[in-house]
Amino acid sequence: MKDSIIRLIKEKQEREAQARTRRHFIKSCTQGMGGLALSSLFMGCDPLAKPSQKRQVAFSERDLNPLSTLAPPYGPKVKSVIYLHMAGAPSQLEMFDYKPTLHKLHGQDCPQSLLEGRKFAFIKGTPKLMGPQAQFAQEGESGNWVSNFLPHFKKVVDEVAFLKAVHTDQFNHGPAQLFMHTGSPRLGRPSIGAWATYGLGSENQNLPGFVVLTSGGNAPDAGKSVWGSGFLPSVYQGVQCRSQGDPVLYIEDPEGISRNLKGRTIEAINKINKTEYAQYADPEILARINQYEMAYRMQIAVPEVMNINDEPEHIRQMYGVAPGKESFANNCLLARKLVEDGVRFVQLFDWGWDTHGNVREGSIDLGLRNKCREIDRPMTALLLDLKQRGLLDDTLVVWGGEFGRTPMQENRGNKKMAYKGRDHHGDAFTMWMAGGGIKKGASHGKTDDIGFSGIEGRVSVHDVHATILHLLGFDHEEFTYEFQGRHFRLTDVEGEIIKEVLA
Amino acid sequence: MGKCIFQRIRYVGTACTIILMCACQSSDPVDFSTQIKPILNDKCITCHGGVKKNGGFSLLFKEEAFAVTESGKPAIIPGNASGSEFIKRLHEEDPELRMPYEKPKLSDEEIDLLTRWVDQGAPWGQHWAYVLPEKVNVPAIEAQAGFAPGHTSDFIRNPIDNFILARLQNEGIQPNAVAEKNTLARRVALDITGLPPSKTFFSSFDKGVLSYEQLVDSLLLQKAYGEKWASWWLDMARYADSKGYEKDMGREIWAYRDWVIRSLNEDMSYDRFTTAQLAGDLLPEPSLDQLIATAFHRNTMNNDEGGTDDEEFRVATVIDRTNTTFEVWQSTTIGCVQCHSHPYDPFTQKEYFKIMAFFNNTRDEDTPNESPILKFYSAEQKEKGNSVTAWAKKYGNDTLAMAYRNFIRYREPVYKSHFFEDFVNGAYDDHASVVLWDKGSCKMPDIKTRNAGFIYLNFSSHYEGTKIRIRKGHKEGTVLADFKVGKTQGNVTQRFPFNKIDERTDLYIETYNPAALPKAGVLNLYWVAFLEDLPGQEKSGYREVGKNFMELLNARTPSVPIMVENPEYMKRTTQVFDRGSWLTKTDTVQAGTPKTLNPWNEAWPKDRLGLARWIVDKNNPLTARTLVNRVWHQLFGLGLVPTVEDIGSQSDAPSHPALLDWLALRFMNEHQWSIKSLVREIVLSGTYRQSSESNPEMYQVDPKNELYARGPRQRLGAEQIRDQALAVSGLLSPKMYGPGVMPPQPEGVWQTVYNDHQWVESKGEDRYRRGVYTYLKRTSPYPSFLTFDAGSREVCMIRRTVTNTPLQALVTLNDPVYLEAAYHLAKNSFNEDNIPLSIAKSYQAATYKSINPSTRAILKQLYTESLEELTENPAAVKELLHFEENPGPELAAMTIVTNAIMNLDEFLTKA
Repeated sequence: MKDSIIRLIKEKQEREAQARTRRHFIKSCTQGMGGLALSSLFMGCDPLAKPSQKRQVAFSERDLNPLSTLAPPYGPKVKSVIYLHMAGAPSQLEMFDYKPTLHKLHGQDCPQSLLEGRKFAFIKGTPKLMGPQAQFAQEGESGNWVSNFLPHFKKVVDEVAFLKAVHTDQFNHGPAQLFMHTGSPRLGRPSIGAWATYGLGSENQNLPGFVVLTSGGNAPDAGKSVWGSGFLPSVYQGVQCRSQGDPVLYIEDPEGISRNLKGRTIEAINKINKTEYAQYADPEILARINQYEMAYRMQIAVPEVMNINDEPEHIRQMYGVAPGKESFANNCLLARKLVEDGVRFVQLFDWGWDTHGNVREGSIDLGLRNKCREIDRPMTALLLDLKQRGLLDDTLVVWGGEFGRTPMQENRGNKKMAYKGRDHHGDAFTMWMAGGGIKKGASHGKTDDIGFSGIEGRVSVHDVHATILHLLGFDHEEFTYEFQGRHFRLTDVEGEIIKEVLA
Repeated sequence: MGKCIFQRIRYVGTACTIILMCACQSSDPVDFSTQIKPILNDKCITCHGGVKKNGGFSLLFKEEAFAVTESGKPAIIPGNASGSEFIKRLHEEDPELRMPYEKPKLSDEEIDLLTRWVDQGAPWGQHWAYVLPEKVNVPAIEAQAGFAPGHTSDFIRNPIDNFILARLQNEGIQPNAVAEKNTLARRVALDITGLPPSKTFFSSFDKGVLSYEQLVDSLLLQKAYGEKWASWWLDMARYADSKGYEKDMGREIWAYRDWVIRSLNEDMSYDRFTTAQLAGDLLPEPSLDQLIATAFHRNTMNNDEGGTDDEEFRVATVIDRTNTTFEVWQSTTIGCVQCHSHPYDPFTQKEYFKIMAFFNNTRDEDTPNESPILKFYSAEQKEKGNSVTAWAKKYGNDTLAMAYRNFIRYREPVYKSHFFEDFVNGAYDDHASVVLWDKGSCKMPDIKTRNAGFIYLNFSSHYEGTKIRIRKGHKEGTVLADFKVGKTQGNVTQRFPFNKIDERTDLYIETYNPAALPKAGVLNLYWVAFLEDLPGQEKSGYREVGKNFMELLNARTPSVPIMVENPEYMKRTTQVFDRGSWLTKTDTVQAGTPKTLNPWNEAWPKDRLGLARWIVDKNNPLTARTLVNRVWHQLFGLGLVPTVEDIGSQSDAPSHPALLDWLALRFMNEHQWSIKSLVREIVLSGTYRQSSESNPEMYQVDPKNELYARGPRQRLGAEQIRDQALAVSGLLSPKMYGPGVMPPQPEGVWQTVYNDHQWVESKGEDRYRRGVYTYLKRTSPYPSFLTFDAGSREVCMIRRTVTNTPLQALVTLNDPVYLEAAYHLAKNSFNEDNIPLSIAKSYQAATYKSINPSTRAILKQLYTESLEELTENPAAVKELLHFEENPGPELAAMTIVTNAIMNLDEFLTKA
């Protein structure tokens, strides 16, 4: 234990030293650009402006920089959000929602009362109930249930608050993912990350305010709209940072153009743009000058933050990273680095959780176990790492899928399937939250004996959104954007804060 | 930006001013729509109208406002303010009773207005947006003190300027002088064609060979006009090359995009343009073009995700079509009314479903093959098609000929297998077909057999010798057909003899093949159809005609999805959805249009064609205003009603109401719905021709240029930025039309579940086509366009919000497309012996301006610095100019300079 503390302190010192160097580097870079740093102009030191005119231009900082930081209207509990989305919908029944009765009823026909008037994505006729395919134990001081699919995670179970009876009315991936991230199953609404970035801006002007990282070999089913900006200005949409190729599109200088030449180029562009401003007085020109400077700094900051090779070995081991590849572990470590550097919203999507039982990878007994293995260590490490750096208090970590899975075994085409699988199910599934403002070790909501429906503490997708916004310092009913003559909210006309999981 | 984030108190601009002015003249009649409605919308309607009707009181509709409330009395008693609870509550001191509840008390002026309004009998008026005046007078302009007379007469080029100047004189502001010739030429060319002017046009205009009017007229004749304005229309039409949702498979619908470009270039009148897109298929004897036009509403998404209910997503498309039609043509967000009566605008929930009923009867049903699709046949195939229809006409009649022609064109009406049920040894396979095993059967419900001698089947068969039986009515019913099918290559359409009956009945299909493995599919069945028989069986040539017909049904051709109306026997009824949920249906409704808008003419058919006629009826108060407002917005970057997506009681008030109406009336009457004439009139105005130069003081007075005392100045759109870079460097291909192209984009951008469709980089000139032809995949659009605010075209987008971000800088600095353009721009004017001249030439080629000394000095310095560094690093030169075999550092340094030029604000902006 002692060793690890010493190691952490040392690492912290190293990190600070590095950060100092980096800041110094960025500073000298911008100052090196002919003293053109635009900040001077905002401060009223514009050499071109006559002293008397200095304060007369009526544009806000947001006009010049749409990502400039804004304080939330109410006291925030957290500054950043890391949202871990398991795309495809993980089975709550093998991970967190322990149902011994379901075990007893294994192999029996599903009661007709549950099937009447219901529609499932693939289940036809009368399916059979399927008992939990994992072993469960109560873990930590909280005594919350965790399955043996998640041996690491059980160590941090007391850090998180479970929502055991989340429900959604969507049971197809695309619409359900959209609903989970934009509050509407149809396209056109901004994602939570876009709302947060719009409302709060970014703490770090050298990085995008809303970063998206994907793993599992595929982008989420609903496509880029799950991190889209909807009717908000496009600057608030998520920026996908990639593991292969440029981490952000076009962030690398073209071959043959050195940093110095890029610096000189931007310097020339901005000088000429300043004369343009003198002629047209259009604040967009000032904004552009600012954006070019930001682009230059981003070119250093993004590759730097996206580089996990510089992390100490024990940290990399802790997450179980796979350098050079696209992995959930890498993305968890990146998420920590990003919030550490002031990124507002980090959205992770891990694909491959759709366990119907039609193929081996998509089975409850085999595929799901592998997927759990892939996330268990990294998400545990993420919580521990954030905690040991004191970042967990300022960060909200959310984990979940777009819906849950049926207590019945899937019988696609009314046939027995090759592997054990469960169909899509929106009536009740588990999510968890951890971090600032969250009641540690809480468990809210309860499902019936077979885990089909919530019977206590049911919460909706809108409730989850309202809670996230609350923790960021917003009243979800007041946080609106006017579009097409209507004040739009992330939570539409619904949503209640889930007080039971708040500290 | 500019929008306040937290629920803001709406700025009611003009209304406020009027309120203040009127407060002291208490006998003046109060105007409902300009004085009362804004207060009601702003202060009352959240709790008393639409979703909420607290205390049983609603101010949304007249009938509701004067109705008895929960208290047992009406809240408003016309003519008696002091007796009206509505007014009394405004004065209450007890915060529990005072209205607005838990909100600050209304101002004295507001209370006074409401009181007078009730005392004056509470006249309920129409909002300005729902009444179009018959005539608008052009304001007369007199020379005014402080306005240079020459200046004013220079400014007024056409009546638009009278409206603009009248307001400017009111505000005491002088308009700008006319812009420099080169600036104006570039502006108007970018606005009309999306490209900078050609060298010929530019120099002819510059030398005075072409007048400004002639330049404008020449530009309007360029094919590039249609390509430019198509981008605007296609955003609204949500045109894309893929279907959207999870799988996001490709969709072949470019024929629609090409139709839009051609129609705009031909200046098809807007009423015809509208009618063709909404109801081309319902026009008498529709042409192929009129059918293609209906693809407007086939741009809705199609969900191929496994496990999705086709009916749910069919309903979703119908809702999208309803909403999009009103957003595109009426500036009305009708979508909210789906769940509840509109909280602000006077549309009821029932009216929403009445509009929806117009769209609820088309053949498309969210199947993966997107049927109905219009097939484009070769000349030879067309001949064969004609032989079939000619036969049907000769031995039958026109109706029969039409049925066969339509079936050849788009293979409808058919019964799709997603409606089949009662499976034995089989199932619906979730990919648009029913799969049946040996001894399999299922029910095909409610089928009209039309006394046909054949049943048409679209299927794939996996074994030889599968026996198929069709029975009538029930599982043991009479056998109507009994035949065998062989193994097929993929799915085919075949027909088999069928015992003639003319009924609506359930049919049962059975499959037998003992050779098949247990539970193995022997037959995948996609649809069945019945066509009235071709007569003349005994005549020679009959067999040939039948062969031709079957050949065409199986021909694979290019195609486009279209709208086709259900025949009478397939008509759906439309019901109101309770709170918007498609699963909870209540009252049945008939197609109809909202009461608040123009009346319905009984001569119009109650279908999409009638709806189109209603929209382009000159009495419609919104159609023409919507269009002129949006064209104005395209040119000035700001609408006359700034909320271009919304004209109604929640929209911004028009900055120049009379001009909006004058333009709308003129567009319909004088211009006969010609968009080109409208564009021409606006760009010929003195208002448009002004210089866009300004100063910080003026920006403070009018940051958005709502008064139009300066010319327009905006960043170019996504496609324009790329097109311009290709144009000024000489790379742009003039090739028009055809399937979407795939210019280089970074690797790994496309990543879609269950879809191995790849971005295959186009070759040759297809790499340099205009942006409007770039393949648009909805879940993953061309990345640099997305960065410059283009949308993903999943839903209708009326306007692109213009942003200014570092990611945009990264595109134009680092995207290889822009580097390549910079290299060509550098090379075109490169002269090693005269670097300052080379710089000046490149700058001039890009910006259409002569370089000023300070800019030249800055760029010359960049050249020198670059040359110095690159001379020492030959490897970098090679990497940068990989296009050249033996590149020199001088050209490389010049490429750095042109890269800078192509990143200047003046290059990215239309000034």
